Amino acid sequence: MPVFKLYMKVIKKNLPSMMIYVVVFLGMAMLFAANSSKSQPKSFSPQKTNVAFISEESSPLIDGFKQELSKNANYVNIPDETEKLQDALFFRNVTLIIRIPNGFTKSFMSGGDVQIQKTVVPNSVSNAYVDISINQYLNAARLYVKNIKGITQEDLVARLKTDLAVDTPVSLQNMQADTENDFTKNYFNYLSYALFSVLILGISVIMLTFNEKDLSRRNFCSPVSASRVNLQFILANLVFTFSCWVIMVGVGIIIGMGNSLNGNLAFFLLNSIIFTLCASSVSFLIGNLLKNRRAISAVCNVVTLGPCFISGVFVPQELLSDTVLKIASFTPTYWYVKANNQIASMTNISTSNLQQIFYYFLIEFGFALAFFAVSLAIGKKKRMSSN
Amino acid sequence: MSAHIFTTRLKCLLRDRQTIFWTLMFPLILGTFFNLSLSNLNKSETFQPIDIAVINDAGYQQNNDFKSVLENISTGSDQLFNLTAASKQDADKLLNDGKIKGYITVGADIGMTVNDSGLSQNIIKSFLDSYQKTSSVTKSIITQDPSSLQKGLLDDLKSQKEYTLEVSGNSAAPNTVLNYFYSLIAMACLYGGFFGMKEVTDIQANISQRAARVNIAPVHKLKMFLVSMSASLLVHFIELLILLAYLRFGFNVDFGAKTGYVLLTTFVGSVIGISFGAFVSALVPKGEGIKVAIMLAVSMTGSFLAGMMYQDIKYIVAQNVPVLSYLNPVNLLTDAFYSLYYYDTFTRYALNMGILSAFILVFCTVSYLIIRRQKYASI
Repeated sequence: MPVFKLYMKVIKKNLPSMMIYVVVFLGMAMLFAANSSKSQPKSFSPQKTNVAFISEESSPLIDGFKQELSKNANYVNIPDETEKLQDALFFRNVTLIIRIPNGFTKSFMSGGDVQIQKTVVPNSVSNAYVDISINQYLNAARLYVKNIKGITQEDLVARLKTDLAVDTPVSLQNMQADTENDFTKNYFNYLSYALFSVLILGISVIMLTFNEKDLSRRNFCSPVSASRVNLQFILANLVFTFSCWVIMVGVGIIIGMGNSLNGNLAFFLLNSIIFTLCASSVSFLIGNLLKNRRAISAVCNVVTLGPCFISGVFVPQELLSDTVLKIASFTPTYWYVKANNQIASMTNISTSNLQQIFYYFLIEFGFALAFFAVSLAIGKKKRMSSN
Repeated sequence: MSAHIFTTRLKCLLRDRQTIFWTLMFPLILGTFFNLSLSNLNKSETFQPIDIAVINDAGYQQNNDFKSVLENISTGSDQLFNLTAASKQDADKLLNDGKIKGYITVGADIGMTVNDSGLSQNIIKSFLDSYQKTSSVTKSIITQDPSSLQKGLLDDLKSQKEYTLEVSGNSAAPNTVLNYFYSLIAMACLYGGFFGMKEVTDIQANISQRAARVNIAPVHKLKMFLVSMSASLLVHFIELLILLAYLRFGFNVDFGAKTGYVLLTTFVGSVIGISFGAFVSALVPKGEGIKVAIMLAVSMTGSFLAGMMYQDIKYIVAQNVPVLSYLNPVNLLTDAFYSLYYYDTFTRYALNMGILSAFILVFCTVSYLIIRRQKYASI
């Protein structure tokens, strides 16, 4: 198999630079996956929003209020400087800044009309959330102040503390999948970027070498039929593709998800291998189209980054608009991510679940075939013209 | 003569498709992707009424107080919930299909059922807690002073007051997505380094053939260099203006009202990009690969630290290693755009621009000292 051997030789020559790609993209995938995997609690737990609490005075009432609010809020210490507070709000270090004006307590205890100043991210959810608690506490306090004459602040706070210790029972129906699946899902999603880049960079470099005018003319002279050449070439391509897949998935399994060997992983693997086939045929197509070594990185960046952005790899699909998702559905990455998400959320293996997942697999496979067919046609046309 | 050098150089630059791609097309494409994927990010934060259900049984129908409070809060312009009354079976189905966030059961106690633990679910719980807290407060007041009922406790109950007053910090909304675009522009500025690199390569006769040709011409080297540099600056600045216009008018990216300053920042960005490229190219005498690698490494790491991939990074760096945020030109540029948009004062903007100017001065001086007076006896 001379062509196959030649292919391997070219790989060997380019091995150092390819390994750099593999390591860099692997590192990125790890970093992204680890970063975006938030641990989801397995039971119902109170959500806390980050709040900057600034009080221009201190009194028992405000202490009590602050304590009660801490059930729903994490207090973040930020110096009371306009710029620092604004920065914290912009980067969502806090989502709410509460400022209690001087003289608040006195006026409140005498039944006056007072308000707490808040600076918020306009219309945000966390704003609505904390608002309920603030109004709840102060309205309850107002009832006491109004109806029980001469109540002291200490008394008021103590009473509110017992009165407000109500907890609505929450029952959970069936909790969604856990953290480990979250990491696995994110890792596999990012893999579509990492693996795709490595394959395009690798395969197109090799194909450019093969397509060099003199070299390809020399090869056509040899007594090996074009279809055999093609077959060996494709076989070698598959070997390369498969090795990349083994390395990248293998490292991911060893490092990050050693302890999550459940049934879902098998589906993740299956999904990624189908997608890898697809990426391989896209790379094959690009390799056939490119003429210039220097254009590789440009094409690679656009072809890999684009689908990843609009298909939900970098930004979750739930946050993308419908139009964007519609455009994205013309790329295999979209279906790959969709399948991954479905697999991750699967708590039991049922026929309806599997049906959906296999449907996605089928679409990805269709993409792979289509790209492969196009690249074969283009490759043939190119051969004819170069003769 | 200058005009001749200038136009020739201009042609030279515009015909280099590689550089034009990285400095113009790549930021435009990346900007398009940013817009496509980030445009909904702000909406995800926005409060939308939460879809819930209440089990429509005897318990609920009999508890008139709760019923009216719940219905009250589920209507109107500032409604908290989208309420559906459903049977237990239907509610379960709605919950499992993800159509509602949770449902409320009204029996002897009020309870709720959810599938997940998130902010929406917590808001439902807060509301229910709040309702029950109010009744427990009322009970405790009545025990304390039974006469309070006659004194209008119930009326007080009905007149719930709004205790928070929204004050806006400043004129601009804290729109997180903007930082991604600002850092993208900053990255595009630094990509101007490709031009600067080319300029230095094309003036050193021992490095490129074009430089060898140019050096034969009886023109002072400094003049040649400055004129070529201004051609680069013109091309790059126009590219950046195209990017700005594309983001501003194509995608409605908000830069605030200080347009003049935004343009000034962009110009300074272009200068720092080009002078940075010249600096790197002058320091590393040979090997285009290494020069490009250094340039990309600096601009990509810089962009990362300025929050282009993950915007919280910018804040984390500023909080923990403030020095780093002042040494990173990408962050300085990003921060300059940010201060123009977000602050009413100019202090921080001036600081950023001051440091950037210092960088430009250093880059230019060093490059000049290295490439001046080089003579080539033989190449």
